[in-house]
Amino acid sequence: MTAETLLEVTALSRAFGGLRAVDDVSAQIRKGELVGLIGPNGAGKTTLFNLISGFTPPSSGTVVFRGRTINGLKPHQVSRLGMARTFQNLRIFPNMTVFDNVSVGAVGALGYGLRHGFFGGRARAEEISARTWAALERVGLAGVAGELAANLSYGKRKYLEIARALATDPVLLILDEPAAGLNDTETAELARFIKGLHAEGGTILLVEHDMGLVMSICERVMVLASGAKIADAAPAAVQADPAVLEAYLGIADDEEVA
Amino acid sequence: MVANASRVSVAARWLGLAALLFGLIPALLAAIGGGYPFQVAITALIFVTLAVSLNLVTGTAGLLSLGHAGFFGVGAYAAALASTKLGWPFPLTLPLAAVAAAVVGVLVALPTMRLISIYFAVATLGIGEMIHVALLNWVSFTRGPMGIRAIPPIEVLGLDLSGVVGGYYAAAAVAAAGIFAVHRLTHSYYGNALRSLREDDQCAAAMGLNPVRLKIEAFGVSCAIAGAAGAVYAHTASFISPDSFRFEESILILAMIVVGGLGSLPGAVVGAVLLIVLPEALRGIGDFRMIAVGVFMFLSILFQPKGLLGEASAIALFRRQLGAAWRGDIQAGWK
Ligand SMILES: Nc1ncnc2c1ncn2[C@@H]1O[C@H](COP(=O)(O)OP(=O)(O)O)[C@@H](O)[C@H]1O
Ligand SMILES: [Mg+2]
Repeated sequence: MTAETLLEVTALSRAFGGLRAVDDVSAQIRKGELVGLIGPNGAGKTTLFNLISGFTPPSSGTVVFRGRTINGLKPHQVSRLGMARTFQNLRIFPNMTVFDNVSVGAVGALGYGLRHGFFGGRARAEEISARTWAALERVGLAGVAGELAANLSYGKRKYLEIARALATDPVLLILDEPAAGLNDTETAELARFIKGLHAEGGTILLVEHDMGLVMSICERVMVLASGAKIADAAPAAVQADPAVLEAYLGIADDEEVA
Repeated sequence: MVANASRVSVAARWLGLAALLFGLIPALLAAIGGGYPFQVAITALIFVTLAVSLNLVTGTAGLLSLGHAGFFGVGAYAAALASTKLGWPFPLTLPLAAVAAAVVGVLVALPTMRLISIYFAVATLGIGEMIHVALLNWVSFTRGPMGIRAIPPIEVLGLDLSGVVGGYYAAAAVAAAGIFAVHRLTHSYYGNALRSLREDDQCAAAMGLNPVRLKIEAFGVSCAIAGAAGAVYAHTASFISPDSFRFEESILILAMIVVGGLGSLPGAVVGAVLLIVLPEALRGIGDFRMIAVGVFMFLSILFQPKGLLGEASAIALFRRQLGAAWRGDIQAGWK
């Protein structure tokens, strides 16, 4: 009855020098799920993310995506299998237009090589263009398609980055702290947007530092602390979990002292 | 209907460009009189070809290359040796020069493609110097500092292009081909892929692009075009020596694309023409002319840091010219 498993990580670890940034993490994501991954700053969320998307090789453990073991694959190979990501520190192509930024996602997924460039590749170009427009419409940036990305407001750049990931037509979308730097209104709007993507059938892994957003929209929440997974359950259960409270309260105390 | 009209206007614009290059400019040069204006024009066209090719890797893909003159030299020597030793005609030495430069370029660049920014630049500086030193010291093959003399002039299928006027047409044809090739690549989605590498290659990889492969392709195409420029140079100058393919030339080509606008195709053309024609036009003021050229470069970068014809406006212009329905109503994007 349960949906097919899309992503399965098993005993995944990564050490930087003596620091075990990700420590023996096992987890699954099934098709159609909206899963949250939370944890205090430095818990290893981004590192886990980089291990999954091929940016950082694991020290040990395996990552299986759509039935294929993907450790050792390069980021572009992982992306072509249908995993799209955004970055914690907002990475766009500033000196390119909004349209061109998003088109890169479609180009990466559909392919547009030297051959297409030299000899026209008209059919492929139209496919890329249609996908680009669809992604722009989806995030509401079609009206500023011709603007340089550098001229967009911070909030719009976040959507630009998401649109670029959507243009790859991903099977799994992973968002690294999309709400960072947004105010409450913008965060609420983003929450609605992510819920909308999920309602359309998207599988999403949402990495967040702040509990609020994740608890309000996710069906299941995983908690990372000091590199280890300490909880993996429905939001209500996670919020009541003493281990989670301690991890967060411990950090909160530190922050008050600092 | 809209598409048809725009296709006609695209054709009209290319025809206009051809009329300028093969009709108006040579007529003007003839009106000035003598062989000298044609000589300068040939040099300008060779450097237009070089600047356009460097712009593909450095302007569009963002790989700062400081050894471009080396690949120009490989092409020139390949053409010179094939024509003097094997008797090959220009229609054969031209593709040979392009292939030779591309092969050398890709081979020496393969291990350096993973280097980033300044490290890549220094590696290409070394490659340029290596090529220069090889041309200088491999005397049995290249005749070293003595250079290669009596390179036959250009003849294409019985058409004699041996004089300066003929040389002009050959140089113009090769420059036009180079411009067209780079235009196809940079003003298509392939250009978007290359630009995304320049902006953030990790991020481009996360979108499914293979950065190493794209960089090698761009570098190979760029070197091939530079090699073709080398063939034109060898056959029109009739004498070449390693002195023409040094660091100074690499820097000159780089200055052309920076002044014109990094990543801008029309900018590369304008930058190359200006930096070749300006010193010639200023011959009247003698030794001061290089100072004047330096001041021009300095001021142009100071007041137009993105170049005389910046990338963003150049791309927008091309997009409109191509008549591609890239705005809302017809959701076709651009070619
Ligand atoms: N490339 C790296 N080299 C060394 N240490 C790293 C590297 N990346 C992350 N770390 C360390 O790993 C730990 C987890 O970091 P990160 O995954 O960014 O946490 P989070 O995203 O949960 O805030 C931190 O202590 C961080 O300093
Ligand atoms: Mg993080």
